[in-house]
Amino acid sequence: MTMKLTRRLMLGAAMAMGLAGAASAAFPERQITLVIPFAAGGSTDVVGRIVAERMGKALGQQIVVQNVGGAGGSLGAQQVAKADADGYTILMGTVATHALNPLILKQKPYDPVADFAPVSLLVLVPNVLAVNPELPVNSVQELIDLAKKEDLSFASSGNGTPLHLSGALFNSMAGTEIAHIPYKGSGPALTDVLGNQVPIIFDNLPSASGHITSGKLKALGVTTKERAPSFPDVPAIAETLPGYETYSWNALFAPAGTPPEAIAALNKAALEAMADPEVAKRMGEFSATIVASSPDDLGKHVATEMAKWEPVVKAANVSLD
Amino acid sequence: MDLLNNLALGFSVASSLANMAFCLIGVILGTLIGVLPGIGATATIAMLLPITFQLEPVSSLIMLAGIYYGAQYGGSTTAILINMPGESSSAVTAIDGYQMARKGRAGTALATAAIGSFFAGTVATFLVAIFAPPLTTIALKFGAAEYFSLMVMGLVMSVALAHGSVLKALAMVVLGLLLGLVGTDIYTGAPRFTLGITQYADGLNFVALAVGVFGIAEILRNLEDEHDREVMTKNINRLFPTREELRQMVGPVLRGTAVGSVLGILPGGGAILASFASYTVEKKISKHPEEFGKGALAGVAGPESANNAGAQTSFIPLLTLGIPANPVMALMIGAMIIQGIVPGPNVVTEQPALFWGIIASMWIGNLMLVVLNLPLIGLWVKLLTVPYYILFPIIMAMCSIGVYSVASNTFDLYAVAFFGLLGYLMSKLRCEPAPLLLGFVLGPLLEENLRRAMILSRGDPTTFITRPISATLLLLTAAVLVLVFLPQIRKRRDEVFTESDA
Repeated sequence: MTMKLTRRLMLGAAMAMGLAGAASAAFPERQITLVIPFAAGGSTDVVGRIVAERMGKALGQQIVVQNVGGAGGSLGAQQVAKADADGYTILMGTVATHALNPLILKQKPYDPVADFAPVSLLVLVPNVLAVNPELPVNSVQELIDLAKKEDLSFASSGNGTPLHLSGALFNSMAGTEIAHIPYKGSGPALTDVLGNQVPIIFDNLPSASGHITSGKLKALGVTTKERAPSFPDVPAIAETLPGYETYSWNALFAPAGTPPEAIAALNKAALEAMADPEVAKRMGEFSATIVASSPDDLGKHVATEMAKWEPVVKAANVSLD
Repeated sequence: MDLLNNLALGFSVASSLANMAFCLIGVILGTLIGVLPGIGATATIAMLLPITFQLEPVSSLIMLAGIYYGAQYGGSTTAILINMPGESSSAVTAIDGYQMARKGRAGTALATAAIGSFFAGTVATFLVAIFAPPLTTIALKFGAAEYFSLMVMGLVMSVALAHGSVLKALAMVVLGLLLGLVGTDIYTGAPRFTLGITQYADGLNFVALAVGVFGIAEILRNLEDEHDREVMTKNINRLFPTREELRQMVGPVLRGTAVGSVLGILPGGGAILASFASYTVEKKISKHPEEFGKGALAGVAGPESANNAGAQTSFIPLLTLGIPANPVMALMIGAMIIQGIVPGPNVVTEQPALFWGIIASMWIGNLMLVVLNLPLIGLWVKLLTVPYYILFPIIMAMCSIGVYSVASNTFDLYAVAFFGLLGYLMSKLRCEPAPLLLGFVLGPLLEENLRRAMILSRGDPTTFITRPISATLLLLTAAVLVLVFLPQIRKRRDEVFTESDA
């Protein structure tokens, strides 16, 4: 047993030292699996599939998308955290898997920093505060004033999601008490706001954009620091509540311990994919802003995000077992 | 005139050679995955999604839609032949369809399902074309309170699904409700009955439960007795229904189509109710309610029409609002976004060729399904003559692959094993699995909407009776209860419910 282990270790060491140069040229030798920690069809899935296809071309190997949904993204993230650290299993991480869930969950299924090697922050996706047109408000300020007089409710895609917390941050900064109504995903939440069962929604901009353009929803503000390029007429909430900023993001992660050569190759492919005009066009239609960062910058981004959300999570008093 | 122009545009798009081919591929694939137990449309569409990158948007959506309604079609085949429903809608078909198959009437049951589905599909397609926008307005009037009342009505009706003792049916509904609670409470985030297993945080998988309590339990029951393997029924009568049987079909098919079309447009569980509701209606108005559960033709014709009509009309909220009524629709939205189409109310005006093309393709697809399936019935029925030592392992393997492919979750397979044993135990105790499934599906919706309505009304329960639609539904429910408990009607009902309790 010991013999075998030692032999394997030595082999591994030899591979790492002697073949390092060759390995960087050789990676990837076979197909790569990209785990998307949400069900197919959602915004993370769409971003992931577009990027996976283009990155596969850059790497000369197919990238197979595997949807491992469940527990708000934790199951998929956990699977990649435990996968072989060889660069052949990577994760499409999000603000949920790498900032919110680790703060919210009492039992930590994985450590967002120690268990992962960052690859690249791909895109930022704005959220939007929108209301049913029958609600008699036209700006964030008018909404705040109304909320102080009347009992209002806002819909979100679920408890502990970035959208719920965007609402919670709004309540705490504006001094309002708009009640939170969680749904099982954006779709049913949107339905009830379109039907004016619930007057207010925090949603991903991509999922709400069709309804905003058609006038079925009135967008009061985007959650990013600045206005979204796809909706220049919609103000940022920060124009009324200075310092207000939330957004969803998608980033690639590999398991901790993945050889630097593999990380470098993946990062290079990711940057190449994001620079492709066709990909840029798709992301633009999707209201997503391309970042395409270095691995180090993604590491810093995760730390910043966790620091930013910690007080919000505490103030909103969300915790899941 | 507009409608005719629109439909003409739609048919010109849908009848192009390429689109006809994709429609055909879609319905064949759909039928195949529907026939393979356990493999559902959701998993297949998810797997095919990347391929659709390369296609024209309208072709890819036509193909994906074909898979969806093709699977609805194929799913009833396994429900009838081997008591293995792949989706909630075919669970109802299994009740009487499988009994018909056991009596050698598998061909008739399959033909009934195919004809009923085609008729319902045709009607519902035209409903989609004519009424899509106004029907959407009705769907949007359904808020939490209305859904709660609808679910209450569904649960009350569910007791009628039982053909054994009412007490046992109630017990099964309650067990189903409890199983439906497994998972994370969406309001507080508290895990319930998950045994600390993260993999059950999103609840138990419906397919795992259905495959377990229906299919695996049936296999266990068949293996128990060497001389009584009903799956291998060899005395198959003629394949096509007689004139008399066709006549019996008309009423149930018409009613099923109506029920399914109406419930299908409600996003959030409406379509699930369709086949259950139709079965209840047929049993209530039948002159021979005692035949239900023993192979009643109406028990196949009604629910099959209802589920196909519901499958078509559930495209209404998708196409007019961009809102998915079920997981398959959510995938279709993903496919649209990948193609650069922003789903929403603008699709009809901005992409008329796409919108009307899909609608026209639905009808073409339904026609293809009937043409494909009627001649295939003979082949499907022959499957029953495959020896059990070949058939059973194949069924088990397909089920496992299918259940696993839904979410790549091994714990779903443990759930299949567990529910297989539970289903076997239930069949020993003469408890019906259908009310359990209904409780499982409706329970979480009932709770979710009850609590949502209460939060919205700030804790005021009168919200359920001050909102007109909700009040009407509750009144209807009360009326059903009163009917059930009126003494003279009760006598008749007792005959209905206890006949198989011997």
